[in-house]
Amino acid sequence: MSHKLTSNSLNNRPLKDETKLLDTLFSTVVKFSPKLLIAILILPVLGGLLGVLLPAFGWLPALDRTQFGLQGFQQLVQTPGIAQMIGLSFFSSIVSGLLAFVITLLLLANYFDSPWLARIQRLLGPILVIPHAAAAIAIAFLITPSGMIARLLSPWLTGWQSPTDWLLPHDPYGISIILGLTLKELPFLLLMTLGAIAQPELNIKLQAQYRVALSLGYYPITAFFKAVLPNIYPLMRLPMLAILAYASASVEMPLILGPNTPPTLAVAIMNWFHDVDLSLRIKASSGAILQLFITLSVLFTWWLLEKLTQAISSKSLSNGQRTYGDLFWSKIINIFTLLLIGFIALALIGMVFWSFAGYWQFPLALPEQWVIMHWQSALLQVQTPILNSLSIGLVATSIALILTLLTLEFEKQNGAQLSRFSSVIIYLPLMIPSIAFLFGLVWLQEAVHSKATFINVALAHLLFVLPYVFLSLATSYRLLDSRYAQVAASLGASPIKIFLQLSLPQLLMPIMMASALGLAISFSQYLPTLLVGGGRLNTVTTEAVSLANGASRRTSAVYALIQMLLPAIAFSLIWLISMRKKRQKAQVKLNNKTASYITKVNR
Amino acid sequence: MPAVWLLRLIFLAWFTLLFAMLFTTSSLSYANTAFAATPETGSITSTETITETSSVAKVNSVLISNNSPIQTKWSTGETLGKNPSVYFHAWGGDPQINSYIQWLAKRVKQEYNIDLQHVKLTDTSEAVSRVLAEKSANNHQQGQVDLVWINGENFASMAKYQLLAQGWVAQLPNFWLTNPKENEAMTRDFGLPTQGMEAPWGQASLTFYYTPSINVNKPKSTYQDSIRHAPKNISQLLTWAEQNPGRFTYPKPPDFLSLSFLKYALITLNQHQPAPVKSGLYQAVTKQSQATLLPILWTFLDKLHPYLWHQGRYFVASGTALQRLVGDGEINLGFTFSAAQVPAAVERYNLPQNTRSFVMQDGSLSNIHFIAIPYNAANSDAAKVVANFMLSVEAQAKKQQAKIWGDSTVLDVSQLSQQEQLLFSIEQQHPSALPVSSKITALSEPHPSWSILLTREWLKRYGAQ
Amino acid sequence: MSSVFENNSLQIKNLTIMRQQTPLLSLNETIKGGDVLTIMGPSGSGKSTLLNWLTGMLPKEFQADGQLYLNDANITKVASYQRNIGLLFQDALLFSHLSVAGNIAFAMPKGDSKTRAIKISQALSDVGLAGLENRQPESLSGGQQARVALLRVLLSQPKAILLDEPFSKLDSQLRQETRQLVFEQIRQHQLPVIMVTHDESDAIAANGKVLHLKTPQQDI
Repeated sequence: MSHKLTSNSLNNRPLKDETKLLDTLFSTVVKFSPKLLIAILILPVLGGLLGVLLPAFGWLPALDRTQFGLQGFQQLVQTPGIAQMIGLSFFSSIVSGLLAFVITLLLLANYFDSPWLARIQRLLGPILVIPHAAAAIAIAFLITPSGMIARLLSPWLTGWQSPTDWLLPHDPYGISIILGLTLKELPFLLLMTLGAIAQPELNIKLQAQYRVALSLGYYPITAFFKAVLPNIYPLMRLPMLAILAYASASVEMPLILGPNTPPTLAVAIMNWFHDVDLSLRIKASSGAILQLFITLSVLFTWWLLEKLTQAISSKSLSNGQRTYGDLFWSKIINIFTLLLIGFIALALIGMVFWSFAGYWQFPLALPEQWVIMHWQSALLQVQTPILNSLSIGLVATSIALILTLLTLEFEKQNGAQLSRFSSVIIYLPLMIPSIAFLFGLVWLQEAVHSKATFINVALAHLLFVLPYVFLSLATSYRLLDSRYAQVAASLGASPIKIFLQLSLPQLLMPIMMASALGLAISFSQYLPTLLVGGGRLNTVTTEAVSLANGASRRTSAVYALIQMLLPAIAFSLIWLISMRKKRQKAQVKLNNKTASYITKVNR
Repeated sequence: MPAVWLLRLIFLAWFTLLFAMLFTTSSLSYANTAFAATPETGSITSTETITETSSVAKVNSVLISNNSPIQTKWSTGETLGKNPSVYFHAWGGDPQINSYIQWLAKRVKQEYNIDLQHVKLTDTSEAVSRVLAEKSANNHQQGQVDLVWINGENFASMAKYQLLAQGWVAQLPNFWLTNPKENEAMTRDFGLPTQGMEAPWGQASLTFYYTPSINVNKPKSTYQDSIRHAPKNISQLLTWAEQNPGRFTYPKPPDFLSLSFLKYALITLNQHQPAPVKSGLYQAVTKQSQATLLPILWTFLDKLHPYLWHQGRYFVASGTALQRLVGDGEINLGFTFSAAQVPAAVERYNLPQNTRSFVMQDGSLSNIHFIAIPYNAANSDAAKVVANFMLSVEAQAKKQQAKIWGDSTVLDVSQLSQQEQLLFSIEQQHPSALPVSSKITALSEPHPSWSILLTREWLKRYGAQ
Repeated sequence: MSSVFENNSLQIKNLTIMRQQTPLLSLNETIKGGDVLTIMGPSGSGKSTLLNWLTGMLPKEFQADGQLYLNDANITKVASYQRNIGLLFQDALLFSHLSVAGNIAFAMPKGDSKTRAIKISQALSDVGLAGLENRQPESLSGGQQARVALLRVLLSQPKAILLDEPFSKLDSQLRQETRQLVFEQIRQHQLPVIMVTHDESDAIAANGKVLHLKTPQQDI
């Protein structure tokens, strides 16, 4: 190679050949990246599944069980309350998913084409980055008998001098779980949907069609449901399924908000895996397989609901009805939105209060003293976890981003989207409950004696970061007007030049959004960090969850707030950049067309 | 254009690096272990320097002037290698205990140049699972757990599956300070002989704490006044719960503290039984002992549950969650195994100021907690050095201070020199702490098989409602 | 459908649109039913801003002063979905989730589904698209799509129509045909029309008053 370069420099044409070299390298990397992406996603998940499948059928050499059998499933069936566990997992996920979906639609419908949509997005955005555990703690504090709501209403309304014993949270019907999951999933769904429809070309089309519907006399909410929703639902489907899959198998939320006589299946599995009675491992593995089927049936139910709704509503789309009590609904949604934001604000304020609270007796709405000792002692201990969170997050997000961009570039260069198989694989870690494969993954890691804790954890995070980054970038990349690239190519630009100087700058905002999302997802990972890292790598989240189970609401409030601050910094950086870009654009526009006037011309 | 070129090169270099990282995880693992192990130095970039400059720690530097019979054996120990790390897997739910472990880490770093890493568990069984997973994957040498804080069922479980290193405890010079020959409790864990698989670390007894519902600040009220309305034995507990519905609860099995409460109830409710029957509690469960000892417990719980917090339809996950309920004023009576936690929690505003600690008059479940080394620990030599330090007079005295942790020492203080004994003397008492004058009637832990049985039967009866 | 054709009129009274205190355009016009007011001007001269004002969708950064009367009713403050002003864009903007018939039915007032279906077939065959009811919009040619879009606006029974460069995406042969059809239909319905266009030939075909918006010298 060096020889080649020298001869080239003799020819005084170094640039061109270096370009060639880069181009070859680039095209090789691009060609290779989809395969790498698939491998990174599929190997750990399948390996992990194998790692629970074998014990599920009785094969666990460490316990001297080397015969295949169904005793794990038999034990599972005999578990007291197993039907309740399954029912709780199933219904809490379906109902919370449905609620999040409906609320997202109502918000979109009521505030589509209104500045309030962006404001609500900004208000709800921070919820997205609050880890589930922290959100659950905040919500628990609101609805608990000694919580903020009870404090605000006592004693003047309720007459309670000490907390009354009502059943929220931890109610046996899963209402608290549903509340927590809905609140946590709503911002995700909303943000994903807004991200998808923010793509310029699609956005212009949607806005125009919405206006057409308005000009045809449709009231705004009806116009959204009849003219816009059918076009954006396909973009919402995957995030929706991801939400449902997550909800059906999540551990943190039901652990903190849910009942425990019995708990949800996922929590029970987690307990069995951690039980001192090691033979419960077999039952736990069988449970993980059962969990897989529950998640699948939740997804299948959603698909059925989707088809059913389609069948029922297809006629009414064009029946000409302009309003279904739009004005009434609009008022309801306004009030609901206020309540929602108030609820969230109250939860956040509650957390801030706790983090500075001295003694705080019921029913006082404000702490009796304000102290900073909780922050002081936390800040002394939190530096290493913060560094760990940041470095894991950055590595996982960078890899995810690069792989995603290269894979999408591969798609574009080959003019075809990934095969159906591959696109399903990308969402595999989102659809398969992590509790079903993470334990197996740890076992797999042990089997290969992998000791690179940091890399292992970062790769485990990558499993969860990659789908989200892909999800948030793919739409934008695929909708990128390919004519720019064609024009550039016709002007003699190499693929790498087009990629770096054309595609990437055009996608700057989506890339930034995806990075922030990736970081946020990585920051909030609990199970993967704990299990894969073997507890050796403490992140802010693992610290927060272990303290959430601890005795001090005040300390866990501090950690939850620190957890929120980390991704908030990432998101505000992006917000600042986007504001600057907007201002620059506005400046240019203003300079270009200052004023115009009319001259009347008579024919 | 040079700027553009520079950008391209940086970009290419960046992702080549990342790709390289993906494929060469093994080669990077060394650097990463170093990275993970350097929180105190705080420098990420200079991993190489850290490993190079670290000196060689030798076990014989551990030698402490005492008259232990195996001193010679210990001092001939080999070198520990460069900058050894010890991963100490210990429950991490208590900030006080966590900072005590941080102090331990600081001290062993100073003394032996060992990096002690506290792996904070939410439940000790997580460490058990990990060792088990390692064993099932044939990882018999490079286990990630070097030292684990353990007792009771977890120990029984690990011992049963042979997951612990054996016979190392007697090698520790400081182990002999516990006077194991006189003090049989130091070598028995819930009735099971420890067989040198675990070294005692501390001991505790079940302590209750109480916050009167009506918070009238009467600074002059005596200790006895404040706890006048609190239940003092198991039957009073039931009456108290009936009179104060929703103001008491206990954690859900298999939580450690939950089982401790159930065992306390089991023992005291069977107090009236003849001695041969009662002795069944300290032996492996039989059908007969189960039939004679258990029914009275279920009758008691059936009566108690409707008057518990949430009508007994939800049980908190752990003792710390129980403390939070007391702190929130939702319940008025809690209990714990670490009595020093109560005044500390009051100091940190987590419990009301009028909280008072007391022990039940009909007895208080007492046990010793241990540290063990898994059979496959990667750094077992360094772990032994750490364990020995944890049993030192310095570490034990520090641990016993109420402001630090307040965990009773396992050393036989009477055998120490007068100067050393002074280290264990009690400072001024916090009003919320358990008075020194409290008369503790120690109840021994039943055989571990009772815990498993209690968990299973409890879950069957109350686990699904 | 407005029963009294003679009364149909769209009146713009003393309109001034400003952008950050800078006047962008001012206008004072009355368009009678069946008349077409053509507005021409380079991009950036405020054509689309004017249309936005007429439909009640003026972006926030603009301020407007003036009144809009439709058939003698002041609709300046009326929400866009209650104005009864139909819009026809250069893109057909047909809903891809609905069939051709569905797109038209979407625009029609509520009613008996059979009657609606008959009306749709009638209208389609009027513009030479008989039998295409169940086709998907994407499968139609550009000219066909434009005609469906026209039917969609007309069958929604608007009281006025705004044309936003309606023919600019059609090739010249098609353009002439479509244009003729649009103006014919509009005249038949006696609707006031405002058309915004780049193309001189559109203005000629409209056979009405023409206004030229111009970008003035830049203030420095």
